Amino acid sequence: MGPDRISQYNNKIEEYHAIVGKNVIDELRLLGNHLAGKRIQNINSTFSGGGVAEILGRLVPLLNQLGIDARWDVIQGDEAFFDVTKKFHNALHGSEQDIGDCDFEIFIETSRKNIDEMRLNADVYFIHDPQPVMLVSRKPELQGKWIWRCHIDVSHPNQRVWEFLNQYVCKYDAAVFSAPDFSQKLPIRQFMISPSIDPLSDKNKELSAGQIEAVLNKYGLDPAKPMIVQISRFDYLKDPVGVIEAFEMVRKGIECQLVLAGGTATDDPECAEVLGKVMERSDGNPDIKVLLIPPGSDIEINALQRAATVVLQKSLKEGFGLTISEALWKSKPVVASAVGGIPLQIINKFTGLLSYSVDGAAYALKQLLSNPDLASQLGKNGREHVKQNFLITRHLKEYLLLFVALDHESDVIYL
Amino acid sequence: MLEWFQENWIILAVPVAVFLAFCIVGLWARRVLYNRLDKLLIRSGWGGRETLVQTSRGPFFFWFMLLGAFAAMRFSSLPAEVQVLTEKVLTSVFIISIIWLLIILTNRLLSIYLAEIKSPKPPGKFVTTGVRVTILMLGVLILADYWGWPLTPVILLLAAAILVAVIASRDTILNIFSGFEIAAARNVKEGDFIKLSSGEEGYVTDMTWRTLTIKSPDQHTIIVPNNKVVRETVINYGRPLKRALKPFQFYTRLHLKELTGLKARKLTELVNVLKSAPDSVIYYHTHHFLEEHQFLTPEPANDFALWVDDSLDEHVLSEKLANIDTFAYYSLDALKSMIILVIEQYMADNPASRSVKGENDFHFLKSNSIVVPTRYLASDLREFVEVLRKITIDSLYYHIFESRLRLQKRSNDFSVWIRDSFGEHDLADKIDGLVPYTSTIEAMRSFIIQNIEKRIK
Repeated sequence: MGPDRISQYNNKIEEYHAIVGKNVIDELRLLGNHLAGKRIQNINSTFSGGGVAEILGRLVPLLNQLGIDARWDVIQGDEAFFDVTKKFHNALHGSEQDIGDCDFEIFIETSRKNIDEMRLNADVYFIHDPQPVMLVSRKPELQGKWIWRCHIDVSHPNQRVWEFLNQYVCKYDAAVFSAPDFSQKLPIRQFMISPSIDPLSDKNKELSAGQIEAVLNKYGLDPAKPMIVQISRFDYLKDPVGVIEAFEMVRKGIECQLVLAGGTATDDPECAEVLGKVMERSDGNPDIKVLLIPPGSDIEINALQRAATVVLQKSLKEGFGLTISEALWKSKPVVASAVGGIPLQIINKFTGLLSYSVDGAAYALKQLLSNPDLASQLGKNGREHVKQNFLITRHLKEYLLLFVALDHESDVIYL
Repeated sequence: MLEWFQENWIILAVPVAVFLAFCIVGLWARRVLYNRLDKLLIRSGWGGRETLVQTSRGPFFFWFMLLGAFAAMRFSSLPAEVQVLTEKVLTSVFIISIIWLLIILTNRLLSIYLAEIKSPKPPGKFVTTGVRVTILMLGVLILADYWGWPLTPVILLLAAAILVAVIASRDTILNIFSGFEIAAARNVKEGDFIKLSSGEEGYVTDMTWRTLTIKSPDQHTIIVPNNKVVRETVINYGRPLKRALKPFQFYTRLHLKELTGLKARKLTELVNVLKSAPDSVIYYHTHHFLEEHQFLTPEPANDFALWVDDSLDEHVLSEKLANIDTFAYYSLDALKSMIILVIEQYMADNPASRSVKGENDFHFLKSNSIVVPTRYLASDLREFVEVLRKITIDSLYYHIFESRLRLQKRSNDFSVWIRDSFGEHDLADKIDGLVPYTSTIEAMRSFIIQNIEKRIK
């Protein structure tokens, strides 16, 4: 059940009153009353690491507080199994992978073990991502409702992997995707539920001026100089070199500094290569700071985002891109590429500015740095947008609605 | 024994005779005095007459008996020290009887007078207990003084007891004093609709000297200590307004986005899918922006207009689609027909229309509405306006948008109820005339509240 993981994020539902309003929490309670006692079994592949584990760790206790009997279990697997699922994950994202018959055999064998050994006992089985997808084989025996929650973009998958997984996905009662663009055409009902950020987490909670200043001092940043910040791991898909190019165009006319902050994945040699290129490209420019932030430095990331004048996310490819919501929640004007889930968060010229090239990013940055009123208005709109659409309370509400909708076919349901 | 009695009978007979004489005088005096007192009190019309007369009749005679015993003792041949002791005992019994009478009398009189105070209802038990304890303490002090016991420890003991009692019941005492203040000011009465600055609001259903009970529009019974009522700012909206025969039940509408799996990459595909699309799809793509981006005004146009502009670069068509007045249609089917007509006319004039750039396909989504009754009920316009301030935008959205178009009511729920329940046609028309597509939901909330406030002022 991952009690340690759950207790780590055990916020009380009442703590969100001050952020989203009591009436929003009352609505959650209203739905909770209708679903009281319903047994929801969440199953994924790990209790720690990654966005899915983090969001489950936060959502499960909140569901429990609303009267839902929500639980969280993980499947078991050896290293070989997780090597295969990693390959599947990358293949579903569309990257070329060397996948052979033996990989499918390993996946099936471990899944069968889990099917036989796992204790399944719920009204709704909420299966997250491809790793536990085969558990649905027990549907005829267990009955109940089965949902496949796909957290990744499967719009352009490796066909062999997708066809293999699809035979199981089709057995579910419903699938849930994070964005329309991430989905596949399926014969089952498909719902769209975006991911969310937790305003009470270290990464998003309010910080004092002293805390922010301490982080700026630690990294030798000048608080008096306008600051452009991109937070992302050092990866070609985040286009850090493109960010530096855009910054250099801006810096010609406007006094400002650039902060490129992120971590590297220890198991990804490409990250070190990208970091090297970024260091080389920025070498000699005192206005560019490249910060290698260790994992778990959520408060430091929070402080850097709060200290930013403009937040940039110039990705070439992106998942949902929740760093955008994190920046918008801090009322920061954001310039971002129109890829992945970013356009759902940035409504161009309303909640931020979208760009399609280095020139576009540079132009948008100049607009925001030289028009504080526009920047402030976009930041304000952005925060409202996140408040209504990308906070954990909305996520919680939509999960509750999903459990209700599973029992009804009609478009309008009266409770 | 008989011999002793024959020799000393006079010693015994005199005190007995004296005692009996006092008893007889007592009976006679009680009869005469109480007859006169009763007549006098009847003339005065005092409500406590019966209580006073009935309660004190017994003790009055008892005091004559005590007096008789006192006098008899003086006529007796008892030793001086026995006489002194007996005198002291008799005096103490007299003091105790006075205290007992005072306790009984004040309790009975208080229960008569407190019952007459309807609002706020006094804390009868608390007052009577307080009076009883005070008289008892006075009696103890008098007795102690009479017997020559040292008073300092007794007073200290009593003071400590009083202090403990005051500390233990300080909230109650504060509430009672606040109750006096509320009763004296007469600013709040049962039946008034009040709102405290701390958030509690509703009709006052009960007032006591300690608490005030409010029935809130979300059907909660709220008990507010009087001390809090005095401390907070209270808005009193006065007596109930005209009550509706059927209260307004506030619902909330929560929605879940469902992917239909249908996509379009060019105008012909868009039109083809639209033709067979259910109402829930049309509703989603013409309304979701209003809710998800309700803080923006004017809101961006419907999804079709945005997509043909952003993804097809068909700016003229985008403007035509954006200019469709959603408010002019009372059914989604009619709205859908209009959207299709505009696109088909454009395609007829511009046969070489473009395909989508890149991967920006139009994904058809639909909205699953889950309608849930809230705890809020309003029976008059005051309750209605106060609930309006509290409900979520989902609830407003349901009553203003969803009922009007998707559920095909030709008016919004608020206007229908106001018109049907109170005959307030002007107010209902004003709310009906609100164009929900050109202002934020919060701005609409303010508009409706302001207009109702103006009407019920």
